[in-house]
Amino acid sequence: MAINQLVYGYVANEENYPDKAVIIAEGAKGDWVYVVLEGQVKVKKTTPKGMVTIDTLKEGAIFGEMVLLEKADQMRTASIIAEGQVRVGVLDTERLVKDYESISPQLQGLICSLIGRLKETTTKVSMLAVDAE
Amino acid sequence: MAMKDNLDKVAEILRLQFKKGDLIIKEGDYGVSIYKILKGSVRITAQAGEGEVALATLGPGEVIGEMSFLSGKGERRSASARALEDLEMEVWHPARLAKEYEQMPAILKYITNQALVRLLKMNKVMSRLSATRQAREQTRKPMEPRDSQRLYYRKDIDQACTYRPITSSPKLCLAGRVKDLSFTGVAITVGAKNALKFPHELGDEFHISTALPNGKELDVTAKIINVRRDDKPGMLLMGMSFTNMSEEAKKTVGFFLLP
Repeated sequence: MAINQLVYGYVANEENYPDKAVIIAEGAKGDWVYVVLEGQVKVKKTTPKGMVTIDTLKEGAIFGEMVLLEKADQMRTASIIAEGQVRVGVLDTERLVKDYESISPQLQGLICSLIGRLKETTTKVSMLAVDAE
Repeated sequence: MAMKDNLDKVAEILRLQFKKGDLIIKEGDYGVSIYKILKGSVRITAQAGEGEVALATLGPGEVIGEMSFLSGKGERRSASARALEDLEMEVWHPARLAKEYEQMPAILKYITNQALVRLLKMNKVMSRLSATRQAREQTRKPMEPRDSQRLYYRKDIDQACTYRPITSSPKLCLAGRVKDLSFTGVAITVGAKNALKFPHELGDEFHISTALPNGKELDVTAKIINVRRDDKPGMLLMGMSFTNMSEEAKKTVGFFLLP
């Protein structure tokens, strides 16, 4: 996925991570939203039987967005680990929140519901995935 | 359920009531409406193997049907929604929302799209994992206890095979595909029409011949321990347990299944 100007326009800061660095730790608090600029990251989740990799995100992929679109004080639902050298962009949260607040409550509900569903399904998949291994 | 046909007032928000057990959205159907739950709860399910898998349970304030809306026009419903208890819902006609969606800041569309793609992917993974688990739980039953520890030595393959009922003439040759292989059995898909000519019932025994991906020939006999419709129309998926294996066949399978 190519990173378009649109996303670059929101990048407030860039960060570099070495291989296996933890960019987001599951359970931690934090409200930054990131985009992968270069390299790729793994999405990992803790289950009673250990860590499972749920997904790999490549350039252009946004992560950490779940925190933004939900009620305050939400904890990170998955860990994001660098796979090789990774450069990520930190998005301008204030601007994102403003954008989000500018849309109708129905659209907000729609996005919120989608993100909530993604979260719930991802948790279930990680449970099934350890079982299957 | 009583759906008011009110085409003149598309922008109007309708309220609907559903009874416990009512199907609100059917997987595979075309539909564009979006619903918000006001009271009650809804179970979201998708087809997985012969059964279905619960993807989510949603309650008041949550929205269903948004995936078809976001995927664009003409998309089929990717999951079913059923009332877990008596429901009160608000129905949003998509026309007005679509306009708002168009005008939404592009970055939000970008994020929403990504979330949608990931969710569709997760739902698929979930259906696949549950189907595998179902199949495994079914093949597990007739095994001896010591076999259970070998459960994980099972490989997914996709090889053409020929098979025939053991009671038939050796000249008979039916076609199928071996989908997975373990120490104790195989899963094969066969045309449902084969079952019209010859019985494919639980317990029926067949000769199966195939070549494994490593080139080794395999000849075994196995009996059906479960049959169900395959995801592909017109096909059956049969879970089969080996009944009689030559030392050579055991070696071939064992070697192939080595991790």
